[in-house]
Amino acid sequence: MTAVAARPVSPVLRRDRRRWGWGLAALVAVGWSLLAAVDGEVVNPAGSVQFGRFAAAALSPALDGAFLGVLGTAALVTVAYAVLGTVLALVLGAAGAVLVARTTWGRRRLGWAAARGVLAVPRGLHEAVWGLLLVNVLGLDPWVGVLAIGLPYGAVTAKVFADLLDEVPRGPYEALLAQGSGRTAAALYGLVPQAAGGLLSYAFYRLECAVRSAVVLGLIGAGGLGYQLSLSFASLRWPEVWTAVYALALLCLAADVAGRAVRRRVAAPRRGADVLSRDRVLTAAVAAALAGVVWSWWFLALSPASLVSARAREQAGYVLGAAWPPAADGDLLREVVRQSVVTVQTSVLAIAVATAGAVLVAGVAARPAGRSARGRRVAGSLLRAALLLVRAVPAPVWALVLLFVLLPGVLPGALALGVYTLGVLGRLAAEAVEEADARPRTALAALGARPSGGWLYGVAPQAAGPALAFALYRWEVVVRDTLLVGLLGAGGLGALLASRLAAFDWAAVTTVLLATVALTLAVDLVSDRARRALR
Amino acid sequence: MDLTVGPAERVAVVGASGAGKSTLLAVANGAVPPSSGSVEVLGQDPAVLRGPALRRLRARVGTVHQHLELVGPLRVVHNVNAGRLGSWSAARAAWSLVRPQGLPEVLGALERVGLADRVFDRTDTLSGGQRQRVAVARLLLQDPELVLADEPASALDPVLAGRVLELLAGPASRDGALLAALHDPALALRHCDRVVGLSAGRVVLDAPAAALTVADLAAFYGAPA
Repeated sequence: MTAVAARPVSPVLRRDRRRWGWGLAALVAVGWSLLAAVDGEVVNPAGSVQFGRFAAAALSPALDGAFLGVLGTAALVTVAYAVLGTVLALVLGAAGAVLVARTTWGRRRLGWAAARGVLAVPRGLHEAVWGLLLVNVLGLDPWVGVLAIGLPYGAVTAKVFADLLDEVPRGPYEALLAQGSGRTAAALYGLVPQAAGGLLSYAFYRLECAVRSAVVLGLIGAGGLGYQLSLSFASLRWPEVWTAVYALALLCLAADVAGRAVRRRVAAPRRGADVLSRDRVLTAAVAAALAGVVWSWWFLALSPASLVSARAREQAGYVLGAAWPPAADGDLLREVVRQSVVTVQTSVLAIAVATAGAVLVAGVAARPAGRSARGRRVAGSLLRAALLLVRAVPAPVWALVLLFVLLPGVLPGALALGVYTLGVLGRLAAEAVEEADARPRTALAALGARPSGGWLYGVAPQAAGPALAFALYRWEVVVRDTLLVGLLGAGGLGALLASRLAAFDWAAVTTVLLATVALTLAVDLVSDRARRALR
Repeated sequence: MDLTVGPAERVAVVGASGAGKSTLLAVANGAVPPSSGSVEVLGQDPAVLRGPALRRLRARVGTVHQHLELVGPLRVVHNVNAGRLGSWSAARAAWSLVRPQGLPEVLGALERVGLADRVFDRTDTLSGGQRQRVAVARLLLQDPELVLADEPASALDPVLAGRVLELLAGPASRDGALLAALHDPALALRHCDRVVGLSAGRVVLDAPAAALTVADLAAFYGAPA
């Protein structure tokens, strides 16, 4: 501010350049992806008959005893993988959190940044990619499923645990240090208790995610529900496919509901009269989880010996030797670039579909704050149930279905991921609407505005920021999932990886994996910058 | 409670917190239905009107609730233009968020509250007192017949508070009416013709302002003058 008294007489409307830049870039990216998606033949007319048969079987799933028995066992396998994978992730995460927390490194920023950078590699590779790599080292061993979930989840968990510990108020910790406690003891008494609620609820959130990942690992051959689904799919037994889809939707739903109940309980603890009385529900949940670990170990017949068997060591040595240095011939690099572009286009289109859908459904899916008509409430409940169902079925299943009628390429992957992500984003956007301050809308209604006016001027401006931030964050997740959908044949880097793996061309596999990690890091960076411009 | 406000009247509602001032204003603008009895606003009962008829009535009643009705992430121009949503079509309302409509009127209203230079700023960058004036500018643009104001000057200095009350009394001088909940006795006496005191939801005082002193009102609040 200068001390000049004269103020501009007619102010000019200045757009926020950064935001407009990002908005324009997003529009261009979506348009470019859309052009690529509808380029050439996209529809597979021959598949429509098969699709019709598939759709017709939706209402007549296979319910014979033998198949249900098989599915039941498969569901147990999936749960066992999820439980053991989560436990491994939590152990790795707790140990890793110490290594990547700012508290540990203090002012040594370089060491901290390096530790974080190391974590980015396991995090950047999808569980399914880990599964495919491990199966080549360990063979068909149950450890593959456990490690494929545990390693990448462990890296994410380490980062989140470290952030939780770093965000806790430092006063008690520093007071303990000042009175001469060791750093470990001070952290146990001053930091961990404050973060305990967050740590516990994140652990249960990971268990929910692990169930979904275990299903996906089954699709690429690790056993369990996903494996049964892919078997029935490959042999075109549609009623069985539908039974498996319903079963895994139920399983994911159960994990979702139970996990959220536990997390809500952690967030709002009951006040007990006794000082040392514990919350029974939480105690039971933790005890059940621990019993589940023992049972899963027994059920999967895990043997630590197979991890260090001579065969595994020999195989690991061979793969690692063949994988380095990465292949760098021109044909492969050109293909990597081409497929990276396809991957980005798929993810951009998917997130655009999901965001547009979420904007459309958010208003109806949000629980209204005050009184509302019965029709409005019924529509809201139905929409919320539909969103739940849509996100309970993993994206690759949607992709497999769409591949009946669409040719492999950008479109089937984008639509499959878009539908699944819509389930997630729709709920988040509805929550953003519910959290918006209701007073502006009430005031607009009081001055005679139409419902649409109250929505445009009262609710949307408040909900748009958080909803867009969620969409950008989900884009990072979608890019990782694009690889997975690609592995199953929808195109992109995932498809390239699958073909190189099938050919045991390990040097090329390394190149593709490096490209994958670089791509996910780049997307994380762009999304983070865009979210900052939104604030 | 039995209260009638006639044309061209400027009424101050006073009373301790929780006496029912805000509820009285909410019933008067139709946001809350009366639990018993009936309300007539500008000759019509908002409880029996529906749809467009109710909207037309509500467009004739302007309410200022401190500044809590403004949306922080919107620019000031849109928050002020929201005063015209009662007469705008949905399409025009939507387009105005892209290209602000009727800018000269918005600037005029903001000029009268002394904020014309902030027209394109985001509302959440303004101070509490500035937001209160934006809320008043919205009401000026709405141009209602009946003005309901809940502590419209709580965050303003005495000079601005007086200016804002003059603006709010504008409709009353054209045969409209002003009903304002006020905490400041001096302001109530200077800008209103009649003072209504509430206690536990009942009218316990109803007198012309000329017959009261600041000390009377201070005693009513239970505070020493």
